[in-house]
Amino acid sequence: MADLDDIIHQPLRLRIMAALQALPPGEGLEFARLKKLTGATDGNLGAHIETLAKAGYVAVDKSFVGKRPQTRVTATATGRGAFARHVASLREIIEIGG
Amino acid sequence: MIDSREASAALNEIDAITRRVRQSKFYRVSSVSIVLWGVLVALGNIVTFAAPFFAGLAWISVYVLGISGTVVAAAMENARSGTRTYEYRMLAAFLLFFAFGFLWTVGLVQLPPRLLGVFWPTYFMLAYAIAGLWFGYAYVAIGVGIATLTLIGYFFAGQWFELWMAVVNGGGLVLGGLWMRRA
Repeated sequence: MADLDDIIHQPLRLRIMAALQALPPGEGLEFARLKKLTGATDGNLGAHIETLAKAGYVAVDKSFVGKRPQTRVTATATGRGAFARHVASLREIIEIGG
Repeated sequence: MIDSREASAALNEIDAITRRVRQSKFYRVSSVSIVLWGVLVALGNIVTFAAPFFAGLAWISVYVLGISGTVVAAAMENARSGTRTYEYRMLAAFLLFFAFGFLWTVGLVQLPPRLLGVFWPTYFMLAYAIAGLWFGYAYVAIGVGIATLTLIGYFFAGQWFELWMAVVNGGGLVLGGLWMRRA
């Protein structure tokens, strides 16, 4: 029986996780780049990243590059596993639905 | 619970984002060597214009530095990201590409300098445009744009052709590379 992940299923969080899992493990995306790739707004993206971080699906690393603050978001192993299961569930739903 | 149509839409969304991320990453990595080639090509054209006697030496230097820089940039990216991809194939592709170019421009037909100045940029840009069909349309835009400007310069730039090429070929690659970093 397909078991969708409620945290990942939300459309923007699905896009965030899809973007992060497209990178090799351990490699992340800067906040601004993630915003551009997912088409999100600042506030919206921040809130959904926080939800994913609370679930342990992403790691958020804040640092300074020169004087500019930089936020880098990376999918954790837990997040990658959850995303893979979510995708498998989506495929199962399609198979069952014909 | 969602139905199969919604599940299919979600999977399509995932595919689209995955493609966009990979293309964006490829653009970022390759933009380094495109900017490098832009700077080198601009310098090669400026030397050809200002000191034609050193043109041959200048262009050999451009090619050697361009190929080395591209291969080193690819190797550094591979080391940084922990992936092994394409530096050896890339080097082989460059060698084949230049072997074909030199076979025709030096071996079989002795092209005069001005035609050489048109052949190499349009030949390079043809490769960009073809590669772009697989790797992203930014390459097609850069290839077709610079090739067109090269031909315009050939017919209309007169004695300023090399300076025209420094701007449109060198400058075009630098701008294209910087644009790809933001894409």
